[in-house]
Amino acid sequence: MLGPLLRRLLPLPLVLLAASVVAFALPRMIGGDVTRAVLRARVASDAPGPEVTARVTAELGLDGPVVGQYVRWLGAVLRGDLGIGFVARTPVIDQLGSALGVSGLLTGAALGLAAVLGIPAGVLAARCPGGLLDRGLSAAGVAGIAVPEFVLAPWLVLVFAVGAGVLPAIGWGGPQHLVLPVLTLAAYPAALAAQLVRAETIDVLGRDHVRLARAKGLPERRVLWRHAARLALTSVTSLSGMFVAGLLGGAVVVETVFGIPGVGRLLLDAVLARDLPVVQAGTLVLVAVAMVAGMVAEVVQLALDPVAHDREADR
Amino acid sequence: MPRRRVARLVAAMAGVVVLAACAGQGGRTGAAGTDGELTVALQFPPRAAYAFDADDGARLQSLGVAETLTTVDDAVQPAPGLATSWEQTADPRTWRFVLRQGVTFHDGSPLTPDAVVTALGHIAGVTAPPRSIRGIGFEIAADGADAVRITTAEPDPVVPLRMSSGNLGILAPAAYAGEAQPSVIRTGTGPYVLDTVNGTDSAVLVRNEDYWGTKAGAARVTVRYVPDPQSRALALQAGDVQFAEGLPVASLDQLRSAGVDVAEYPGARTIELLLNQSAAPFSDLRVRQAVTKAIDRPVLAAQVLSGAAAPAADLFGAAVPWGETAPPPGADVDGAKALLAEAGYGPGRPLQVRLWTFPNRPEMPVLAGAIQSMLARAGIGVEVTVGDYAAQEPEVLAGRFDMYLNSRSYLSDHADATSTLTSDYTCGGSYNIDHYCSAAYDALIDRLPTVTDTAERRQLFAEAARLLTADAVGVMVVHPLNTAGSRGVSGFRPDPLGVRPVLPPLSRTDA
Repeated sequence: MLGPLLRRLLPLPLVLLAASVVAFALPRMIGGDVTRAVLRARVASDAPGPEVTARVTAELGLDGPVVGQYVRWLGAVLRGDLGIGFVARTPVIDQLGSALGVSGLLTGAALGLAAVLGIPAGVLAARCPGGLLDRGLSAAGVAGIAVPEFVLAPWLVLVFAVGAGVLPAIGWGGPQHLVLPVLTLAAYPAALAAQLVRAETIDVLGRDHVRLARAKGLPERRVLWRHAARLALTSVTSLSGMFVAGLLGGAVVVETVFGIPGVGRLLLDAVLARDLPVVQAGTLVLVAVAMVAGMVAEVVQLALDPVAHDREADR
Repeated sequence: MPRRRVARLVAAMAGVVVLAACAGQGGRTGAAGTDGELTVALQFPPRAAYAFDADDGARLQSLGVAETLTTVDDAVQPAPGLATSWEQTADPRTWRFVLRQGVTFHDGSPLTPDAVVTALGHIAGVTAPPRSIRGIGFEIAADGADAVRITTAEPDPVVPLRMSSGNLGILAPAAYAGEAQPSVIRTGTGPYVLDTVNGTDSAVLVRNEDYWGTKAGAARVTVRYVPDPQSRALALQAGDVQFAEGLPVASLDQLRSAGVDVAEYPGARTIELLLNQSAAPFSDLRVRQAVTKAIDRPVLAAQVLSGAAAPAADLFGAAVPWGETAPPPGADVDGAKALLAEAGYGPGRPLQVRLWTFPNRPEMPVLAGAIQSMLARAGIGVEVTVGDYAAQEPEVLAGRFDMYLNSRSYLSDHADATSTLTSDYTCGGSYNIDHYCSAAYDALIDRLPTVTDTAERRQLFAEAARLLTADAVGVMVVHPLNTAGSRGVSGFRPDPLGVRPVLPPLSRTDA
């Protein structure tokens, strides 16, 4: 298993180098004066004159050639120094580290819950296609995919926080603060996983190796879970890598509604304030996480699919 | 078999809900609060790590953590803060502030002239000093055992008012020991001690039992920063928090029916439709007046914004004593058409303009759309673009625009309008978007630095605003209202100027 992993790790530095160029260039291509945007993020209604703006530009290190700025930034990143945020003037690594911890927990819990709910639901629905359970789960799945987060999140707050009064509406800190955001974030991947696993399981149940297993007299439960569901999971694992990166940096709606200090909000604020060190480092980290998550998903997929594993071993 | 599976699945889902409910027991920070504990939801998080050269300085002031030499009273006059009295010396460029005796910082160190010099010297030396002391040649020195002397390059009548700026908070000398930003943890003098900071997410305050003045109403306050207005309203309704600021107007009735005390009060802000006078068509006064006549400001405030704002008759509104509180007239479409015809525009030569605005404040695109409809009735075609402010700013400052809908505080970081009147409307103003230039207006503004009498200054502010209205520099559209809600809490005092402590007077009534 180490071989395939290493093979996939090899292009990582080159991809990250390309990502660093994009992460550096993109925020500068939006237009507008970065220094004034930063000053406005610090003091909303300030209108500093050219002298103050020039002094702050120099202080932020934005007064030299852009190529030189990129080389200096990349050199610092390679040394593990992500710089100082323009707005908060605290180390980016602290800002990003704290937000990544929050988003990591949120993403892990949401994907875990999605797997726990979605995979068994898909397998069970596939057991009797067209049956009552299948129809019920399919309807729930469609709802999970169709209802957007900005609708589901306030609805959950109204039911569990305002109505029942058993969970907090906002905040971050205790396990109780995880429940509603995780339910909101898990709805879509759970529904998608259920649909994918159902379709794949129905397909696998018709294959030769499953018929052979049944002919050998294996219990149906073992046939379903060991021979069909295991293979059907490959479709979900390939998606899970994308979900990790997507939820880690893209849960802005959920973070905003529940007041959670995650990566999504940090990066959104940083983009609006032209906080270049935070935007650059955040983008780079998310690209790296997406790549690693994708690789891990591929490796897990190989482990689950013996045919693909043998094919990989032959390379 | 399938029935058993169904039962298991249902049990699993029920388990999640039960787990959710169990996790929630006792977990609500506000609802199960101990006597004297408060949880509040505030609108603006500390983006700059509570730095005094950012809006975070005013945040520390409103939390009741940091204090300034002076504060302002209800008449918007300077009032004693950490200084008990002040006077202009024989040299009119110098003011002497006598410090309050017996004040200690939260770390136990005493308030001394040297401590004040260290604090204000630090903020004066940063790259972008606060507007209250920027460009005035600010200098400070100790004067004996109980006073400091503040000197400016020119005689300045509003130095005591400047000293009330939240950006001029005074921390203990130990806060300024390192190279980094001053430490705000346990270094203020206010009724609350900043005990814990959790980034931009939350902070914990504890009552300063040694406070020199009236003690704070709660023993402990958890401050949650919640940027989403609907989330703040839901948190208040759910009982997660006992006080929240900046509530959405659409939720106010629902909150009231849920037992929330809702306060609506004026804010020192104007949404203005700026008209580019550096080029046609708005270099023509008649066209600007036509636009003003065509826009129905009372309708915009009452219907388009559902009462979340007051219609603006002037640059200044009800938040300041010199503001105009009489409502502006409604639309006069015929009058607008007549003025346009005089200026050479009509069916044969329709006027087509661009209107830019930005979405950061949700009311801006809504107002832009309504203004577009109103101007269409007068025969003015408007193409609306909602874009990123940072990208638009260089264009509008360079005069490459027609109309720009902007939202702007009309006070500086202290309760004085000179800064805005200068930067936004004088010929050389650094933020003169509409490129207005009037010798009469500039002459009026030039008088302000020499006027010491408060009543006379206010008269000049009002006169300047009337001149701007007469010259139709732009359309002062609405003054947005501030909102706050409290539940099980008493003591909230609206502060339209945003320069006074908000949290210290709050205390629980339901414990």
